Amino acid sequence: MSAAAARSPAASRPSWRERRELVLVAVTAASAGVVGLVNPGFLTFENLRFVALNSVVLSIVALGQTLVIAMRGIDLSVAPLMGLSAMVCGLLAQSHGLPLWGAVGIALALGLALGTLNGVLVAALNIPPIITTLGTYSLFGGLTFLYSDGTQVDQVPPAYAAFGNAGPLGLPVPTPVLVLVLVTAACWFALNHSRFGRAVLAVGNNAAAAYNAGLRVTAIRIQVYALSGLLACFSGLVFVCYTGSATVTTGTGDHVELQSIAVALVGGTLIAGGRANVVGTVLASLFLSTVLTALVFLQVPPIWYSAGEGLMILVAVRGGTRRAGGTA
Amino acid sequence: MRSHRVSLGGAALALVLALSASPLVAAESGTPDTAKRIKVAMVPKLVGLSVFKANEDGAKAEAAKLNIDFLYTGPVTASAQGQVDAFNSLIARKFDVITTTSNNPTQLAPSLMRAMKAGIKVVAYDSDVAPAARDFFIQNTAYPAFGKALVESVIKYAGPNAKIAILSSTPDATIQNEWIGAVKTYLAATYPKVEIVATEYGQSSPSQSLTAGLNILQAHPDVTGIIAPDGAAVVGAAAAIEKLGKTGKVFTTGASNPDAVRQYVKSGVIKETPLWDEVKEGQLVMYVARLAANGALKDNDTFTAPGLGTYEVKDKVIVFSEPLIFDASNIDQYKF
Amino acid sequence: MDMRAPANANAVTPRNRRRLPVGGWELALTGLLAAVVVGFGAAAPGFYTGPASLLGLTENFLPFGLVALGLSLVILTGGIDLSVGAVASLSAVLAAQLWSRFGVDIWAAAAVGVALGGVLGLVNAGVILRLGIEPLIATLGTSFLYGSAAVAAAGAEPPSGFPGGFTALGTGTVDGVLPASLAGLVPIQLVVFAAFAVLFSALVARSPFGRVLVMVGYSPDAARYSGIRTGRVLVTAYAVSGAMASLAGLVLASYYDAVRPDMGDVLLLTAITMVVLGGVSIFGGEGTVAGVVVSVLVLGFLRQGMLIAGFSDMVTTMLTGAILLASIAVKNLFNRRGTGLANQIWAMIRRPEPPRANPS
Repeated sequence: MSAAAARSPAASRPSWRERRELVLVAVTAASAGVVGLVNPGFLTFENLRFVALNSVVLSIVALGQTLVIAMRGIDLSVAPLMGLSAMVCGLLAQSHGLPLWGAVGIALALGLALGTLNGVLVAALNIPPIITTLGTYSLFGGLTFLYSDGTQVDQVPPAYAAFGNAGPLGLPVPTPVLVLVLVTAACWFALNHSRFGRAVLAVGNNAAAAYNAGLRVTAIRIQVYALSGLLACFSGLVFVCYTGSATVTTGTGDHVELQSIAVALVGGTLIAGGRANVVGTVLASLFLSTVLTALVFLQVPPIWYSAGEGLMILVAVRGGTRRAGGTA
Repeated sequence: MRSHRVSLGGAALALVLALSASPLVAAESGTPDTAKRIKVAMVPKLVGLSVFKANEDGAKAEAAKLNIDFLYTGPVTASAQGQVDAFNSLIARKFDVITTTSNNPTQLAPSLMRAMKAGIKVVAYDSDVAPAARDFFIQNTAYPAFGKALVESVIKYAGPNAKIAILSSTPDATIQNEWIGAVKTYLAATYPKVEIVATEYGQSSPSQSLTAGLNILQAHPDVTGIIAPDGAAVVGAAAAIEKLGKTGKVFTTGASNPDAVRQYVKSGVIKETPLWDEVKEGQLVMYVARLAANGALKDNDTFTAPGLGTYEVKDKVIVFSEPLIFDASNIDQYKF
Repeated sequence: MDMRAPANANAVTPRNRRRLPVGGWELALTGLLAAVVVGFGAAAPGFYTGPASLLGLTENFLPFGLVALGLSLVILTGGIDLSVGAVASLSAVLAAQLWSRFGVDIWAAAAVGVALGGVLGLVNAGVILRLGIEPLIATLGTSFLYGSAAVAAAGAEPPSGFPGGFTALGTGTVDGVLPASLAGLVPIQLVVFAAFAVLFSALVARSPFGRVLVMVGYSPDAARYSGIRTGRVLVTAYAVSGAMASLAGLVLASYYDAVRPDMGDVLLLTAITMVVLGGVSIFGGEGTVAGVVVSVLVLGFLRQGMLIAGFSDMVTTMLTGAILLASIAVKNLFNRRGTGLANQIWAMIRRPEPPRANPS
């Protein structure tokens, strides 16, 4: 997929961008290889399958985050949105037997509606993105709590569990991984090969210029936040299918908002906007999953896991910044 | 000095009881004096977990019988700050009794001591606060008994030479550390050949617990038992075993409400898992709250709660029950 | 800061000429504060039971205010510090361990803790300036590192039970210094907060450093061209933010009479909310410390009042979020800095000609 990205015809693509994906693939492979030497169990198909599966939920959220950051925005509300969707779909499935297709519809509608709310606040009411999504972070988290009424999701119907874990038609690759590939391809195409994607990057690069060039900046921004909400809520559904559980702190408790920003930036998307790397985001999420699993195989004490995550962010972003020639 | 005052109060009460007519004496052994309506709050570690909700269900029912204005309130995340906020507002609203299970025994102490100074009775349950900061503590089960139950419910199936792992919540979780300590003590005495090869933490998050469970099993393929003394951790461990197709080869146990683990108990991932009856515990919490508000409970005492049983108060601590072991044969009798 | 809204580039005129009358935002906040205090005093029994109880309520939220003061300097420069929570936790845990494991005097340990916070802030500045990483991502990364270190330093049984003199910092009142009639009235926390509020306010509004700070935030390039050593300004801002976060961590340690490696986590989002509601632009270069101080009191009393009135923690948090959004929306409506719908309507009402984008 990185080769395909490298050949993409979109304009003004600097050379570091192609290398970012290669670097991530190389670093991930090297880490996996080293850990495999120490503990061969790491390189079994079974384990690698879980390393991939574990990265899916974060990857989907981070794809939405990538689009938002590409537009020079930020979306902190993805974490409570993911939790809200997991709670709503999970509770409806658990106590009312909501069929899976119904849950997909509800998750997407929920994400679209609340994401659009973010977009309207940012684009039409002109509230800075970080403040908007900080405010809706509290609001959406509150909705989750009010809806749950203090209960939690413990188990989901077999169809949900099968969707979250097994492969379709008996394939060894789990459905969420295939879904992620599809979503990634769609985002990649939208960003690099559509008028919409060019508009997003233009807004991120210089909104005033984009406005002067006749782009409907307000509409584009609303659409991107709506997409981010949509993906966050969809990931919530994947989460509840995969884990079979949802609590009031799903999403927020694991700081998915910060993790999604981190992997988007590690993947090569610039926080200053105007440049995004969809494939890099997914590879960075995979890298994070690899590292966190590797720490267990290497028997690193658990208290240092989040330090490992922090170091990874700083080192990887440092690399990206240097190549991009950026300064603070 | 405090205990002096309490014992004086107890003596005064005994005097009143001795002098009064038989109805009050009957009240001592049967129902407590419920003439005065009181306000009692229940502050869990966080609202939004089924186990605490089960406590609330029991407490609510009991409160209705005991002429209690009942309030269930607390933080959304398991934070001491959120609990202290709740306590402060309850003090301002002049509640009669605060009952709580603490996120941290020491951090809550100053606020609860302020409550006690304001004349509010404090009853801790589940997870204790510093002893000076509460009037009574209702312990779920005795720690050694729970440690033994955890070990037996795994070793019975994994064998006395098993390699096992521990999946807990956080490194400084008081009650989990007590249980893990009890597990280690019991193992050393009874099954010295059992080896603990890994200790991981799931941060009480179902997803992080699942990841930790998967990681344990992948990194230590020879592990045949996981002791996960935390609600989220045991669900994560069980889900990990199932996902890896190791049902019947690896056994897990923990401390979880039956609803959360029902499917795993039925599928055989979990053979046995100990807990206690959370609904009844909630009832007892309200009963003790009523007695405490009436000043009818001494630091060392015995009392009989109708429908719950007879309990001994020992140095302000009441042990609620023996561990209740859930297995495939009895789990459907419990819904919480 | 990085999430600069494009609207910013479209500002019609230099901001300083079109500002509301000086202190308009602060005045509005002060009115809101009065409404909150009087409203809850009248409507929520238990909120006001005498001046001592009202002032005593501030003990429950002033640590957030201390963080907000330090953070406001960073945000004025156009940066952000996401590590304040982890810095507060790490400093408090290390200070407590110095006292408990090594027998260091608690006040000396606390001083080391505050100094450590300053050093951690310097590390943040170093990562931002030397490694050229955006403040948001730099402090996100360091917050993971500091958080891990705090967990490691705390161990299984974090220290608690500090000496009485130290716990007074969080829960005591100022006695002796003030007239006897005021004994038991003014919390020590409030005095500490007031002192720093005055200091920071003077620093930002009246000192050369403050002018430079605001200028760096308003236009880093212009500041650099005019010979200001912007790096030095940023280093100072982040170091101060770290030190203030540590101070807040120590006050929390005193208030709880205990430390925990995650005790600072709650500080971050509320503190950012306080700074922004106080009128400091998230893009830097605009805002006053006075506004932040009033905003700390508004949000603090609001939360305490709602809790006492019987609203749940969650509803209170939701309302805080709604107030943040509504107030910034209103503010945007009136200071005319953008191309958003409300601004355009407003501009058309004020002046028939639609605003034209004019990136300079």
